Amino acid sequence: MVEPQEKTLEELHQSEAVLEEEDRILRVWTPVLLRSILIVSAIVLVIGLFKMAAQSPNAYVGRFRRIQSGEVTQQYESFQVLISRSLSGHPHSIVILGLMLLTLVPLARVAFCFFLFIRERDGIFVLFTAYVLTGLVAGVILGRIG
Amino acid sequence: MLSILGWLFALAVGAGFVGSLSGLGGGVFIVPGLVLLAHVPMYAAVGASLISVVATSAGASVAFVRDGWTNLRVAMVLECATVTGAVSGAYLAGYLPPWVLELLFAVMMLQSAYFSLTKQDTELLSESDKLCSWLRLGGEIPDAGGQSLHYGVANIPGGAALMVLAGIMSGLLGIGSGALKVMAMDYLMRLPLKVSSATSNFMIGVTAGAGALVFLARGAVPGAIAAPVALGVTGGALVGSRILPYANVRALRMMFVVILVLIAVEMGWRAMSGL
Repeated sequence: MVEPQEKTLEELHQSEAVLEEEDRILRVWTPVLLRSILIVSAIVLVIGLFKMAAQSPNAYVGRFRRIQSGEVTQQYESFQVLISRSLSGHPHSIVILGLMLLTLVPLARVAFCFFLFIRERDGIFVLFTAYVLTGLVAGVILGRIG
Repeated sequence: MLSILGWLFALAVGAGFVGSLSGLGGGVFIVPGLVLLAHVPMYAAVGASLISVVATSAGASVAFVRDGWTNLRVAMVLECATVTGAVSGAYLAGYLPPWVLELLFAVMMLQSAYFSLTKQDTELLSESDKLCSWLRLGGEIPDAGGQSLHYGVANIPGGAALMVLAGIMSGLLGIGSGALKVMAMDYLMRLPLKVSSATSNFMIGVTAGAGALVFLARGAVPGAIAAPVALGVTGGALVGSRILPYANVRALRMMFVVILVLIAVEMGWRAMSGL
């Protein structure tokens, strides 16, 4: 359990190489991926809101008032229905799709770390990251059943 | 429709801006903004806020990861705790009466105010304890002369326990719980304040994302509110982060504390009225 006080030259080179790889993935690829998903989801949200304003402004006002009064608390659409309604241009479904894309950002970040630790053959951190990913999936399942 | 959208957007820009300048995040200000000013029920406000916290964190963490202060290994260990808490909290949020959420929100505002008043850098730990050494959680930060300075980490079980609580509060209340996370890393785990802040920002997106997934899967995110709020909070936070290096944050700190205490009083009053 105790870390050795002095590292051999080979161990030092190895740990430096690992840090460089971690650094490259974090500094180059993670920001590119995060920013891409963020931009796409923002575009989808803006399209959804514009379509709402153009097609059904009164429906938006009505929905907002129903949320305020507590009449609308939950409105679930299955993923297939959501995609097909979004493709057919339904504004509310497009907005929800944009919000789902947005939540992919943290998921993608954890997935990135998962592959990073697999590459580093860091077993305990692969387990930690797998636990976090499982927790996120468990959240979806819990949300569906309750 | 445009007036409602514009009002929500402006509210969110303001919350994101103040959240960024105060370092407490947009969720702390958007939830009371939606509940007290836009008269949205607490549960709907939490759903919309969780999405906006994810959006803000995604935008901010790009810069934070780049600056090299984030301790990825610490973040990953603690995320196990925050995700567990956030999923449980978001699940429970659907079953708790609004007054409980409002009361908890008031308590969290007071904790954030206390944190804003007392936050200070702790002395650097030169060696990690046994468990943290085994997990290789220590790291390096640049000192004033540009040389690398090693820091150790301590008490990961204690930090993780507080992170479960931070996660529960995040899922229940739609906030990032950044103040609680930084306190846990700073006081219990003895991380340098700047490392704690950057690591907390990295973790906030995953914590709020876990809660947001529960809300989304349940169909409980009000898209009509969440979309303009997410866009507005992110925009406000981006402007705030640009102004932050030039702002006199110490002078603003008292103002933020007063705002937090006022929000706590108002939310506490609402909770008591709903009993």
